[in-house]
Amino acid sequence: MEIRPGSVLLAALLLSGCGWFHRGDKGPTPVTADEPQPDPSIIEPQVPRREVKTPKIKAKDFELGAYFGALDIEDFGTNPIYGVRGAYHVTEDIFLEGFVATSKGGQSSLEETFPDITVVSNSGRRFTYYDVDVGYNILPGEIFLGRGRAFNTALYVTAGMGDVKFADRDQFAVNFGAGERVLITDWLALHLDVRDHVYESDLFGVTKNVHNIEATLGLTVFY
Amino acid sequence: MRRLLAIVLMLQAFLAGVGSAATQNLELVVTQPYVEMHTGPGRGYPVFYVVGRGETLTVLYSRTDWYRVRAPRGQEGWVRRDDLARTEQTSGAPAPIPPYPVFFAHRWEVGAGYGVYNRENLVTAYVDYGITDSLDIELALQQAFGTIDNREVATLGIRNTFIPEWKWFSPTAGIGTGYQHVTDIAPPAPQEANNQLAYASLGARGFITRRFMWRFDWRTYVVFNQLNKSEGLEEWKFDLAVFF
Repeated sequence: MEIRPGSVLLAALLLSGCGWFHRGDKGPTPVTADEPQPDPSIIEPQVPRREVKTPKIKAKDFELGAYFGALDIEDFGTNPIYGVRGAYHVTEDIFLEGFVATSKGGQSSLEETFPDITVVSNSGRRFTYYDVDVGYNILPGEIFLGRGRAFNTALYVTAGMGDVKFADRDQFAVNFGAGERVLITDWLALHLDVRDHVYESDLFGVTKNVHNIEATLGLTVFY
Repeated sequence: MRRLLAIVLMLQAFLAGVGSAATQNLELVVTQPYVEMHTGPGRGYPVFYVVGRGETLTVLYSRTDWYRVRAPRGQEGWVRRDDLARTEQTSGAPAPIPPYPVFFAHRWEVGAGYGVYNRENLVTAYVDYGITDSLDIELALQQAFGTIDNREVATLGIRNTFIPEWKWFSPTAGIGTGYQHVTDIAPPAPQEANNQLAYASLGARGFITRRFMWRFDWRTYVVFNQLNKSEGLEEWKFDLAVFF
């Protein structure tokens, strides 16, 4: 291997530069005689500091649960529906809520009268929706059961929008409703809801707004 | 659906387990002449018990602006946040009632709303994380319902709030990219397509109350489709959101 004088010079420069990085380091400072020596008679207290941890207050503003009931699908009969709901309580008045639920439509009157006609395929009869809603507790209060028992309740209204999938089509749907929340305990709530899902449909040839009203009973837990 | 129900039930069981694991509750000493306990977490619920000065309250949990407390003799009720904030810890330190998140410095936003995308009804949901007070990353999931097609849109972008200290109205602007999935619903043949897209946006945001806020956004999109010519779309939307 040929070593060029230039590269030797460069290596030498680099190596000499290494010392530069240690310029801040100093040798051990000699202990001077007049520096006060620790008195061996004073005992340093060796008490471990006690960790004081303030317990946190848990916020139980979320509500999660399921519901079951009857859904009247316009032109397709009343059918059982079941779903899940989640809510976040922003203030004592306002809450945000979300739903996902499913049901299955029956035969329309047209299909019952003329059995040869199929308006919706069998798989398309599945009625599924999701919704995002804003709710407002308009009438909070208490209900009494006999002399010694009271339950906190609230009558609320909700409005929102989402997707209704029916007849193999996703449709934009608005919903509005009212419900009653009865707190059986402070963390378990019973819900009675009536809600209308409205969307535009042209299944029968004319475009019209169809109303799909549900009445449900639900149970939720506060977290 | 059944699976979803099962997941919710399992989550319920799990969360209930986590809740019961917590044992230590905060204890606060009343320093005002008295603290009123209400029967429910709301302004209208009657006062049924009063805890006097020097007595200790055990704080169990909170719901919105109300705190569920246990009095020394075992009565449980709800105390207003402002009343509880005037109590002290047993050590003499002020009550550790967490402050409301400051609106202009909040980190997380979760919201949903209504809009119009390409003249179609739009349902939108978003999550937003603030890197600084004015610069945010936002993820939006949207579904547009048209007469000839349905579109699912997912976008990721950055958004700048020009004057974050302005509480009730503060203008914003952003850019981002994403994907849309188009399903044709008009006959004859249902076709599906995936397109990448990019957007620029102008908007505004503002505070409503507590943790509640609104947001408006107007976006112009460029969709890179397979037809060798890009499609231009417009969107506007209004969201309500919770911030943390």
